[in-house]
Amino acid sequence: MLNRKTPPIQAHNGHIEVKKAQELILPNGIKLLTINAGTQEVSRTEFIFNAGTRFQKKVLTSRGAITMLTEGTATLSSMQIAEQFDFYGSYVEQSADRDFGGLTLFSLNKFLPQSLDLVEKVLKTPTYPEKEIQTYRVKGKQTLQVELGKVSTLVRQKFFDTIFGANHPYGEFASPEDYDKVEQADLLDFQQKHISSSNCTIILAGKISNNEVALIERLFGQENWGKPHQTDFSLPSMPQTFEQKHWVEKADAVQSAIRVGRRMFPRTHPDFPGMAVLNTILGGYFGSRLMKNLREDKGYTYGVSSGLAPLRESGFWVTGAEVGAEFTLPALEQIYLEINRLRTEPIPSEELSLVRNYLLGEALRTFDGPFATAETITSLFEYNDLDYSFLHNMLDTIHNITSKDLMELANKYLKPADLIECVAGSVSNM
Amino acid sequence: MIAIEKFTLDNGLRVLVHTDSSTPIVSFNMLYNVGSRDEEPDKTGFAHLFEHLMFGGSVNIPSFDEPLERVGAENNAFTSNDITNYYITVPKPNIETAFWMESDRMLSLAFSKKSLDTQKKVVVEEFNQRYLNQPYGDVWLLLRPLAYKHHPYQWPTIGKSVDHIKDATLDYVKEFFFKHYAPNNAILCVAGPVSKEEIYQLSNKWFGPIERRDVIPRNLPKEPTQTEPRRLEVVRDVPYDAIYKAFHMCNRNHPDFHTYDLMSDLLSNGRSARLFQRLVKELGLFSDVNAFITGDIDEGLFVITGRLVKGVTFEEGEAAINEELNLLASEPLSDYELDKVKNKFESNFTFGETSPLDKAMNLCFFELISKAEDINQEVPKYLSVSAQRVIEVANELFRPENSSTLLIKAKN
Repeated sequence: MLNRKTPPIQAHNGHIEVKKAQELILPNGIKLLTINAGTQEVSRTEFIFNAGTRFQKKVLTSRGAITMLTEGTATLSSMQIAEQFDFYGSYVEQSADRDFGGLTLFSLNKFLPQSLDLVEKVLKTPTYPEKEIQTYRVKGKQTLQVELGKVSTLVRQKFFDTIFGANHPYGEFASPEDYDKVEQADLLDFQQKHISSSNCTIILAGKISNNEVALIERLFGQENWGKPHQTDFSLPSMPQTFEQKHWVEKADAVQSAIRVGRRMFPRTHPDFPGMAVLNTILGGYFGSRLMKNLREDKGYTYGVSSGLAPLRESGFWVTGAEVGAEFTLPALEQIYLEINRLRTEPIPSEELSLVRNYLLGEALRTFDGPFATAETITSLFEYNDLDYSFLHNMLDTIHNITSKDLMELANKYLKPADLIECVAGSVSNM
Repeated sequence: MIAIEKFTLDNGLRVLVHTDSSTPIVSFNMLYNVGSRDEEPDKTGFAHLFEHLMFGGSVNIPSFDEPLERVGAENNAFTSNDITNYYITVPKPNIETAFWMESDRMLSLAFSKKSLDTQKKVVVEEFNQRYLNQPYGDVWLLLRPLAYKHHPYQWPTIGKSVDHIKDATLDYVKEFFFKHYAPNNAILCVAGPVSKEEIYQLSNKWFGPIERRDVIPRNLPKEPTQTEPRRLEVVRDVPYDAIYKAFHMCNRNHPDFHTYDLMSDLLSNGRSARLFQRLVKELGLFSDVNAFITGDIDEGLFVITGRLVKGVTFEEGEAAINEELNLLASEPLSDYELDKVKNKFESNFTFGETSPLDKAMNLCFFELISKAEDINQEVPKYLSVSAQRVIEVANELFRPENSSTLLIKAKN
């Protein structure tokens, strides 16, 4: 008779191999990182620039300049660019975050030469035609208006604005009216200053050979392109004192969006790996304490989580949920209760061992296939200057951190007096 | 070409194995042949609520998530109109834990009152979060009953209203389980660094002892042919007016399915697609426009959605959409444009093959609608779509009397 009560014997999941990218410095100084893996004839090519919102002088310049790279070049119209990428079945994704901006190409290898030819044009000679900017203004403004109808957007803006300051690029948000002020001259200026070979790193992943590497070198790695990049961009100071509780009113909201968190540190900080483990226990996986309490026990919410996110020169930790309006106060109470338990009660060894194993499984997934590996390498490049010891430290910490260490971290970083609380919702529905 | 091996256990459970040695992770996907189309009209949203209850402990194992997390696995599920699909990704050495867990909840659930009470609240919050508390969130609650008058596709997976969810009883949970959750009503696919032999042995060990159950063959009302245009206009607290148009199309196994799908790609897949280029960029009438098929197993919908630029009227917007649809129905496609959407499809498909979990899900789905091996016929089927057939199908599809139009008017 099969024993269904006892789990099958747990096996060791095997050694996690930190996969390194091959590093190549191209003739013009661009660093090319390659990851050769996978079974399908496809590849992912990412171009990363120090070109996030922190480098802009006016709101929406970074995002506008990067999003509209594909809206016209010296020789091709927006329509022609779109046609050609689509014809080859290629996808281009642009992203502009706070620190970095760039473009990622997904392509079948058989069409990689044609697709990279297009990428070369859009990176080196974009023209930002006025007609396309006008479409961007209208579309961007309307999309943002729709977003502002969501409590989750309202609370996110309030939270970042509070912890980083409304005038700091890490805390700044565009308003719908800002879209009207997007101007061609600003976009061109930004593109010329920041989208340049001296400011570019390329990550190529997939089933790749010397041919693909040679192609990248020929198109992007020979001559210098763009202006030499200036590196002395300093950030304004961040607020030192905070108003602790914030309410954003959204009439008739049937749910409230909650954020409780604080400003934290970059990923190079020695406490980052430990805080990552602590965060997992609190709200970083489906079986976390917050999920068990607020969702699986009380049914206040569809989902609650917490996260530790790095920025180049700062970072934040935040827990968030959308809860039934009538549960706003009890949900907040339980969030604080769970945070305080981390500070006062040692994590039981059963729970800690579960989280260790869960995180080791996650670590295995971060190197599962060429694209997952590429994303891991990208974030290592962006937040740890490609220092692989971060990944080894992370694994060491997962293996060895103790309940005592975790309690110390909780007392160091999660004191109630240091936490900011933001809620967006309807007072009368509470 | 996706390699497939398969076998069926004595109790009727169909098992598919796809070997992919390039990954250390095994994808374990269990499809149950039950979705919201199998619900009673006064108990809508139940298949999805039930999916939540599948995580509330099974007959021998009090918690579903913990033992999986303990071996480094991840798991989740989704419910659609047609199916309920559960998946686990687990590091290879601990694959047996997935068999242990998934077979126990097929054997029987804990049927806990506490779990039911909590998950009802959780699903009510899901309803609030997705359908009520955001702009345009209730569109499918309005569009489905406009397009379907008889077939159960008239309600969305979440259900018609939260009251149906609140009214669910533990007795009905049990009834539903034994009616639909059975080895002979499920398909398992295991994809990853595995062999057929080991999956055969593990499947027999864990699923073999579960008895076959009586599953009553599905007998759903067929949606009668629509004979006149339907329209509904509502006012909502949203920033911009929006148009939604739904046309009845064929079922998933119909030979024209791929033509419909490519037509939606022609209209809106990629930045060069027709609706985006014409209506957003050239004419500036919409800030956002989309075309897609619902992809349902029974006769589904071909849907066009668009948000109007402020100041543009419904009449102007709708006329512009109709003009694009008429163009598809009257002007033959160029070889170039047809090749473009076919390339795009092939690329999508190839990228999809880089994910073992996606492969496992798709294999189960193909086994359900016909046979798993048919997945390898998909690319040729799309590549064989002709310009002539596009015109014929578009003419049939975009008739006014086949349309349901929902207009969402902004309050201010």
